Amino acid sequence: MRSKILQLLICISGLLLSSVQAQEPMTPQEPLRFEGYPGAPEIKVVPRKDKLVFYPCMMCHAAMEPNPEIRQLNTPHNSEVKHGRGRIWCLSCHDLKDRNHLHTLLGEPVDFNDAYQVCGGCHANRQKDWTFGAHGKRVANWQGPRTLYNCTHCHNPHDPTIKPRAPSPAPHVRAGLKRVQGLPHEDTPSWMKRQEQAGQ
Amino acid sequence: MTMDSDPKGKDYKSALARRNFLRGIGMGAVTTVATVAQPAWGGETFQDAFADFFQKDYRRMSAEEIDAALGRIERRAKRRYGVDIDCVNTPPQEGVVFGYAINISRCRGYRDCVHACVKENNLGRDSQVQYIRVLELNDGDFNLEHSDHYYDPETVPVEGKHYLPVQCMQCDDPPCVKACPVEATWMEPDGIVVVDYDWCIGCRYCMAACPYWARHFNWTTPEIPAEEINTKTHYLGNRPRPRGVVEKCHFCVQRTRKGRQPACMEACPTGARIFGNLLDPDSEIRYVLANKQVFRLKEELGTDPKFWYFSD
Repeated sequence: MRSKILQLLICISGLLLSSVQAQEPMTPQEPLRFEGYPGAPEIKVVPRKDKLVFYPCMMCHAAMEPNPEIRQLNTPHNSEVKHGRGRIWCLSCHDLKDRNHLHTLLGEPVDFNDAYQVCGGCHANRQKDWTFGAHGKRVANWQGPRTLYNCTHCHNPHDPTIKPRAPSPAPHVRAGLKRVQGLPHEDTPSWMKRQEQAGQ
Repeated sequence: MTMDSDPKGKDYKSALARRNFLRGIGMGAVTTVATVAQPAWGGETFQDAFADFFQKDYRRMSAEEIDAALGRIERRAKRRYGVDIDCVNTPPQEGVVFGYAINISRCRGYRDCVHACVKENNLGRDSQVQYIRVLELNDGDFNLEHSDHYYDPETVPVEGKHYLPVQCMQCDDPPCVKACPVEATWMEPDGIVVVDYDWCIGCRYCMAACPYWARHFNWTTPEIPAEEINTKTHYLGNRPRPRGVVEKCHFCVQRTRKGRQPACMEACPTGARIFGNLLDPDSEIRYVLANKQVFRLKEELGTDPKFWYFSD
């Protein structure tokens, strides 16, 4: 009796095993590599290196011992990295040994002209939108080859938030009319008034 | 809005001047008017004036007649502004229908698009006509009647406000076209609603019909400094226009039919503006329509705008 149960168990486990094996073949595979987004259009990117003041970085760093320690940096480097608010620091993007390059999350070197590849490591959704044209800015034409501005063209990678600035001049108020103050839009919204009342 | 009641305004002054003038004649004084006299035919040759008068609707003109009209437009601009402009008649591209999308989470109210448009499209600098209005709204409010496009703070964006640029929606079922009694406005095969400024009678019915306040009337002859005139012009686009006609955004027909971006899109520093061919499944605009939650303004009116908004 016991041997029959044992046989049955072996049978069932064998079946289970074979079904698992059918889903995941045991043959070793190449590790997954990011090859871009499927169906993405061909793009060119406006180069950035010619706009970097201190590039090539190895001019100085070739003679310096690499120091991986997290510490306060001084000029010519940014003393404060606002990007990530303390979750990342220089070497999260810059290569420790080859300062002329950035690196991906896997440690592959990335040219400064291709900085968007580094940004996409964390901001994959944005990078996808940028590749397909829903984020970022295309240069000059809507038709023909696509040239895009790099992420770092608009965003300072050390402090990526865009700062407020002065607007261009307001339109004329029509002749004979005056701009009326106290429009509903200048009024406090009703729900905010409730909040104020609740606060009192 | 309140009327500025100025009893001694321009009309009053001109009435006074007329009275003085008449009095001068009555007293037998010698008045020299040679400097203010209009040259014959409004400064045109008799031939040009004659041809202008009998110029047909754009859609009824033959290729030769359009070429002749383009020549007259160039000569008129030379007389008015002293500038050699190049007026062309680029036809719509096959298999192209233009669409526009604006990412309102990117728009920060800089108004750079407004001024790029004014320069590109030879809009009068004093005529108070601007094709784009950037509306400022309270956070949590999307009532367009609560919006303000005269906002002028030190810096934008202002905390607690958001911004919504509005221009011609290039409706696919345009109410303005239906309203025009002389068929001076129509939709081109590439989806752009255009105006024949020489055929427009200035009745402004289309302005009343447009639910987006996208059409504008030239009350004054557009004044543009000669050095700021954009010389690359199109018959249906940014050619210098007369006083007393209706005009509107035409998706920069002089640029976009040649594959260039509209001026507002090129000027936008935030990349909020996305423009492209709706018939091309690989275009940016189609990606936006397929992957973002988009909406259109006053969609319930059934005008079918080719102008979308989204936020992300």
